[in-house]
Amino acid sequence: MKKYFSLLAGSFLAIAAVGASWTEGMVSGKVELKSIGPLAFGPDGVLLMADAKSAALVALDTQDRVPAPASAQVHVKGLNQKIAGLLGTEAEQVLINDLAVNPISRKVYVAVSRGRGPEASAVLVRVHHEGRIEAVSLENVKHSRATLPNPPADAMVGQGQRQSNPRLESITDLAFVDGRVVVAGLSNEEFASTLRALPFPFQTAGKGTSVEIYHGAHGAFETRSPIRTFVQFKVEGEDHLLAAYTCTPLVQFPLKELQPGAKIRGKTIAELGNRNRPLDMIAYHKGGKDYLLLANSSRGIMKIDTTDIAKSESITSRVADKQGLAYETIEAWKGVDQLDRFDASQALVLRKAEGGALDLDSLPLP
Amino acid sequence: MAIHRSGARRPVGTGRHDPWARGLVDQPVVFALNVCLRGIVKRLLVLWTGLSIATVLWAEDKPVLTWQPLPGSPSNYRVEVSGLGAEMWARLKSERDQGIEPERWLSVRVVPKDLLKALDVPAMGGRFDFAPEKAYLRFEPDYALEPGLRYEAVFRAGDLLPVRATLSIPNHPEGPPTRVLSIYPSSEVLPENLLKFYLVFSGSMSRGHIYDFIELRDEWGKTVEIPFLEIDEELWDAAQTRLTLFIDPGRIKRGVKPLEEVGPAIKAGRRYSLRIDSKWPDAQGRPLAAPALKTFRVAPPDRTPIDPLTWRLATPRAGTRDPLVVRFGEPLDFGLAGRLLSIRRAGNAEIAGRAELHALESEWRWIPDQPWLAGCGVIRVPSILEDLAGNNVGKAFEVDVFEKVDRNSVPGRNEISFEIR
Repeated sequence: MKKYFSLLAGSFLAIAAVGASWTEGMVSGKVELKSIGPLAFGPDGVLLMADAKSAALVALDTQDRVPAPASAQVHVKGLNQKIAGLLGTEAEQVLINDLAVNPISRKVYVAVSRGRGPEASAVLVRVHHEGRIEAVSLENVKHSRATLPNPPADAMVGQGQRQSNPRLESITDLAFVDGRVVVAGLSNEEFASTLRALPFPFQTAGKGTSVEIYHGAHGAFETRSPIRTFVQFKVEGEDHLLAAYTCTPLVQFPLKELQPGAKIRGKTIAELGNRNRPLDMIAYHKGGKDYLLLANSSRGIMKIDTTDIAKSESITSRVADKQGLAYETIEAWKGVDQLDRFDASQALVLRKAEGGALDLDSLPLP
Repeated sequence: MAIHRSGARRPVGTGRHDPWARGLVDQPVVFALNVCLRGIVKRLLVLWTGLSIATVLWAEDKPVLTWQPLPGSPSNYRVEVSGLGAEMWARLKSERDQGIEPERWLSVRVVPKDLLKALDVPAMGGRFDFAPEKAYLRFEPDYALEPGLRYEAVFRAGDLLPVRATLSIPNHPEGPPTRVLSIYPSSEVLPENLLKFYLVFSGSMSRGHIYDFIELRDEWGKTVEIPFLEIDEELWDAAQTRLTLFIDPGRIKRGVKPLEEVGPAIKAGRRYSLRIDSKWPDAQGRPLAAPALKTFRVAPPDRTPIDPLTWRLATPRAGTRDPLVVRFGEPLDFGLAGRLLSIRRAGNAEIAGRAELHALESEWRWIPDQPWLAGCGVIRVPSILEDLAGNNVGKAFEVDVFEKVDRNSVPGRNEISFEIR
């Protein structure tokens, strides 16, 4: 879900060379959102927002480009309760769908549903370092929009019935990766991986390329299982995506293979085990080593040492346990609901506290 | 207007014992002191009453705080402050010119059901309209007020006492309670590698906590542990009347840890029940009319791809509106079979009509809007069609990598020809 991706210098230079801008093609006006889901920051304060109900991605120029002080932290007790007050409702009616840290200002952007029914309002909330929260106005802002394909109800050709297509594709994760927006989705009908890469700034033509990624675990059987969350990662200097699947393997594949119509075979490098669903993943560097931090539903936070990722063999044989990359569990971080990178030395977590409260804290990376 | 003042009367019981008249304290002293104090208190009381009345009558500032309904929705309101004197409006304007925000004077908050939390509730976001020249200050919340909640507006400015006004938004009118209409697959026999259920409701439901209200139990009444793919997004349709519930693919896919360590969510030869708790709130926060239950028996896993060449067709006669019937030979996925199959006349012209699923989703019927014309046509079968175990057309849910299967090429299986006579 939420991603902090350090900007690739190469992308910056390429854009600068052609005199283009990351806000190119944006228009000023009201952002219409039917829903708000995963968030991710691109370069230059551009926030990418997924609106699954509209099958669309929106890129918003936040104009939030004042660098944060090095000492920046954020701590908000009961973020959900405070957002409820701001929106004039009860905490029970506030769903925090995702959060993302602006890598420039370190302000936290929160995707919120006000209400639990189909008419719920989509709200973008900004959290300042001192804990002040505000709803970000979407009335007259610079933005651009890309539509994702949602197949029409082919069989329903009778009058009026085409509008009642019950198919909807949830967007489970998105990230800005090397000049492209990569989006993972999961339909409420067909069971298949839909990973799309859209060039950014969004172009009017083309709806992004969809690739099929197959992966095996313990060898024999491959599926097109949906990707739950993913993160960009360098392996021997080459950009890769590491994807955590709904059926729990952690799979690696080179970014350069993400080409139109490609069928990619991923390399399974770890298994997260049973009774577990991956929630969020961040990559970071500490003490000369690269790590992954993965929040999941039942095992708390997993810290995975990726030093040997290039050498690790694909899991191809049936073994008892613990094949693939080793991990340790960070016991102190309990109840993590959302995870993002705050800065080079801190993570941002949203954690369950007493009485249904959700606390937002920047914490030193383990 | 003159201030009403009490007369300069002497305390009761004065006369010859009047210490003020004589300039000395006479006998008895205690009585005299008593009389004296009573007199002072009485004078002060009278003075205070008089001043209060005068303040009310004289004051220019009589702040009035009103909730005003707005067009569009019965929950749309704004708050207006009026009744201030010219001097106070000028003072507020001056403060505004110095950068003081109107939220310093006027705020709206939800009154929490737990009053101990009242101090923690931040002010609601919205737009201020400060118009001292028109003698009003207005606040319009950014969002419609919520049925069932109480809101309090407070105005504080200068040395005026705070003025408060509360508003309760009535709950939605009660309609018929929402209920579970159907649970798919309809069959009472499901494969061990069943991929998903669909729950269809009579009205819109609430999201964000569905797994609290859905339970799978085995034939001994024991709860099956985490059988479903629990994802925060929850796979609803746009109206939130249909929920797709995937079985955890880690407990279907061979060779991954969840299946190896804890086994399949449902096991062949056993019976299970899928239970929907009536406490599950609908979109209006009301519980369901009744719990729902689907019991089923589990058959061995189905790893056979869909093969449309084995389907059987029953074609209607030209000139009738009888359905064109396709029998799959097995139940197919409710969502995909209902949506994906389409029909064309020779030459690719659409045939207007509607699709229906019957016989436990093992039969597809096409009912044309107009009587059939004689001639040829085709039924299109996209490859992504699934059976109950997620097997596609010409491709099983899992592909054995040691068998060189071309995953997408399914010659002759994506179109079925028919002829109406």
